[in-house]
Amino acid sequence: MRKRDKLEIMRDILKVIKENHMHIKMTPLLRKSNLSSKRFADYRAELLQKELIEEREERKTGKQIFLTSKGMEFLEKYKAIINFVNEFEL
Amino acid sequence: MAVIEQVLFPNTFGMELIYSFVIIVCSLLVYFSTKKMYDLSKYQGIKYFRMSFLFFAIAYFFKSFISFLFLILEIHEILEFSTLFLGVLTLFFFMYASTMAIFYLLYSVVWKDFKEKRFTIPLIHILVLVISALSIAIREVKILLGLQIFIFLFIAIYNHFHIKKLKGSKKPGHLHMIYLILFVFWMLNLADLLISGFNPILEILISMVSIGLFLVILYKVVKNVGSS
Repeated sequence: MRKRDKLEIMRDILKVIKENHMHIKMTPLLRKSNLSSKRFADYRAELLQKELIEEREERKTGKQIFLTSKGMEFLEKYKAIINFVNEFEL
Repeated sequence: MAVIEQVLFPNTFGMELIYSFVIIVCSLLVYFSTKKMYDLSKYQGIKYFRMSFLFFAIAYFFKSFISFLFLILEIHEILEFSTLFLGVLTLFFFMYASTMAIFYLLYSVVWKDFKEKRFTIPLIHILVLVISALSIAIREVKILLGLQIFIFLFIAIYNHFHIKKLKGSKKPGHLHMIYLILFVFWMLNLADLLISGFNPILEILISMVSIGLFLVILYKVVKNVGSS
């Protein structure tokens, strides 16, 4: 299987959240992201730091991860970013 | 009167100003049009690419400023110019910005091959600052030209092995060639400024090819950014 690069993994995580009505609990997100716990924790921290996702405590469901508007914009522009990176071999 | 004549007369300062202006605008357009992409992805390669064009804009600004000072102060030799305080200052910023522009463009392509990334950029900044200061202090601009030739050779050799490594469906990008030509013409630009007595026709040729290369890169950037 082809190794996913960093931007692709970020896209995949954000896509899972989007397809789950914009929010998801930690455990199913870890499972659906196909990453080890350690790597998932790194990506989660990075996505939070880049403000592509946010974590909120919901009264009924507990702690959930939400897709931010910036995260949504990343998904919309992902193809263009990848094309740009490939075109300039960055 | 002589100043007015030189400003109006093509192939001198007027030409230099237009030429630098076009390249500065192209470079800044590349820098600002890719801001959104970088803000969203925080991708290192995009960052280095953008930084390269920011430094190209700064370098060309100082290049035209140096030409302007040459004209105003009626100086014809870079060594004479480097005895003035303003001359030393502008030369220093020009040398620093031009070398960093070249370095960032190279690094935007090869950064993934470097394991240690935290100290690379600060170290290069310090090194280039020291070399720029040194070449002015000992009044030997050829040191800087030598450094740029060294970077160019490194790129050419790296490029050769990188293309060799690519297999099957992965074709080598033609952008490497554009970068190599860009470096060659940047060094000719430097030589034009630092070494007196350049052929005017050659100066025009360097200017035209340089503008063409920046326009090609800008077109490719706008095409990609526009599609998002």
